[in-house]
Amino acid sequence: MSPALSLTAIGLVVVATIGIGLFGLRISRTTSDFYVASRAVSPRWNASAISGEYLSAASFLGVAGLVLVNGADMLWFSVGYTVGYLMLLVLVAAPLRRSGAYTLPDFAETRFESPVVRRICAGLVVGIGTLYLLPQLHGAGLAVQTVTGAPPEVGAMIVAVIVVINVAAGGMRSITFVQAFQYWLKLTALATPIFVILLVWHQPVGVLDSLHGAAADWAEPLSRAGGRDHPLYATYSLLLALCFGTMGLPHVLVRFYTNPDGRAARRTTVVVLALLGLFYLFPPMYAVLGRTFAPDLVSAGGDTVVLELPGRVFPGTTGDLLGALVAAGAFAAFLSTSSGLTVAIAGVIDQDLLRSRLHRWTGGDYVAVNSFRIAALIAMIVPYLAFTVTGALSLADTVGLAFALAASTFCPLLVLGIWWRRMSTTGAAAGLVVGGIAASAAALVNVSGAPQGGWPRALVGQPAAWTMPLAFLTVIVVSKLTPDRIPAGTARSMVRLHTPEAVDVDRGLPYR
Amino acid sequence: MSDMRDRDLTTYRDVQLSPDFSELRRRFRRFVFPMTALFLVWYFVYVLLADYAHGFMSHKIGGGNITVALLFGLGQFVSTFAITMIYVRWADRRIDPDAEKLRHQIEGAPQ
Repeated sequence: MSPALSLTAIGLVVVATIGIGLFGLRISRTTSDFYVASRAVSPRWNASAISGEYLSAASFLGVAGLVLVNGADMLWFSVGYTVGYLMLLVLVAAPLRRSGAYTLPDFAETRFESPVVRRICAGLVVGIGTLYLLPQLHGAGLAVQTVTGAPPEVGAMIVAVIVVINVAAGGMRSITFVQAFQYWLKLTALATPIFVILLVWHQPVGVLDSLHGAAADWAEPLSRAGGRDHPLYATYSLLLALCFGTMGLPHVLVRFYTNPDGRAARRTTVVVLALLGLFYLFPPMYAVLGRTFAPDLVSAGGDTVVLELPGRVFPGTTGDLLGALVAAGAFAAFLSTSSGLTVAIAGVIDQDLLRSRLHRWTGGDYVAVNSFRIAALIAMIVPYLAFTVTGALSLADTVGLAFALAASTFCPLLVLGIWWRRMSTTGAAAGLVVGGIAASAAALVNVSGAPQGGWPRALVGQPAAWTMPLAFLTVIVVSKLTPDRIPAGTARSMVRLHTPEAVDVDRGLPYR
Repeated sequence: MSDMRDRDLTTYRDVQLSPDFSELRRRFRRFVFPMTALFLVWYFVYVLLADYAHGFMSHKIGGGNITVALLFGLGQFVSTFAITMIYVRWADRRIDPDAEKLRHQIEGAPQ
């Protein structure tokens, strides 16, 4: 691998990201531009941007690494990442758009008329976002380390600084352009080496055959390869987390507001599913090829297989060029996901924690956009500090925990909040707290060193299968016990959520 | 001001109680919930088959390296996409027109 070439490629991605971001700054003027790109993004652009934002370090590096180490079961990561969008689309996308809320805390407050529930949601958004940003920083550290041998802090710092600059400068509008560009960059970077390899060999089937002898149990489903016990439970739990967690990811939801209307939002989702499906064809191929060409990476955790494979297959210039391309794609993944997350977290920090305080301190003498910029800085500092104190868990596993936390908190809040009239405010708060504590306890145990095997490891490693039902149950039981705490405006909320957007009912839009 | 609010509230309650609104909600629920359950079952059954119906899943088709498991696996992506297409077409056809009708009802005459 040639460090100079790879660093040049990474540099180009960084320059392009900042360049497009600055271009966005010139046309980003109002608060609505900052938060939702003035709701004027066409489905195709938006779908590219959504996919670009969604395909993180976990998808670009992590899935291939997990499949390399643990075998075929890990393919569920890619299926689950995709299916989550379908759940989001059919269950919550349309009602949530109609609610007029830009963020999850906004939704919680309008639906449950409670500042307490709102504050819990704000805390959860920051928690989920931090858990999701963490593997992006780890991935960046790993990539720079693989390419140059520099310590992981360097890569993480580069990503953190660029993201804060870009987000603070342009808000959502510039991020949309940046991310649409980055989807196509990522796809090209991941697909090209595979095509070159297949082209050079003419006989890809030979590789698959060599696999049957060497690592038969690895290719079997539910095989416990890589030392994961109770594969059936773990697979189901992972599927649940990914299916129901996507709807609670802060950076995903806000994307549905950048469409001009509900019809466009549906179109966008169809394109997103096609783009994601296309992308996820490639990581497993890296894993399969990695079993043949880089078996030594299995014991190292596997997260670098995508970066190292081109150099292993083609020692020499071809490998260097392809390696540089892949490194550039990986950086696009870190930058785009981190940008989207930072916009979402900053929006919540800005509205719920910062603005009222700034108002008090300065006596109203501040600019709203500056408050957002300070919030963007805070949104990145927290995960960076977490990065410096936590050990490197597998990238895709950490992201899986963020999904589990979202599935155990926002999923019950949204699904029951949208469809169940008898949900009480106390029930909502209790569900968020119980699901949130259970899932984040599991996440903390994992990040700081998981138990070594058997049921404890399975239950803590993939918590969604018990934390999510627990949260749903808590909401239902507590709501039944506290019927007097059903929000007075439930009838109004239900009409708002279920009548078409074109109807001019008061939706309490904050930034119009 | 309070007069406005009262009138608004009555409108909301009327809509909530109106047969058209409950019909719209019911239709949405009757389509979306079974559909969600169905495709979740399909994913979960795939995992079960992989574990317990080993012979069936590793059955080779056409003598090559293509197994039933591989086809079903690819089918996961294809079916996800198909379900989305079905939902979008259904929503365009069955939800949007009635929603439009409801809108005219709330806002008065069509504009």
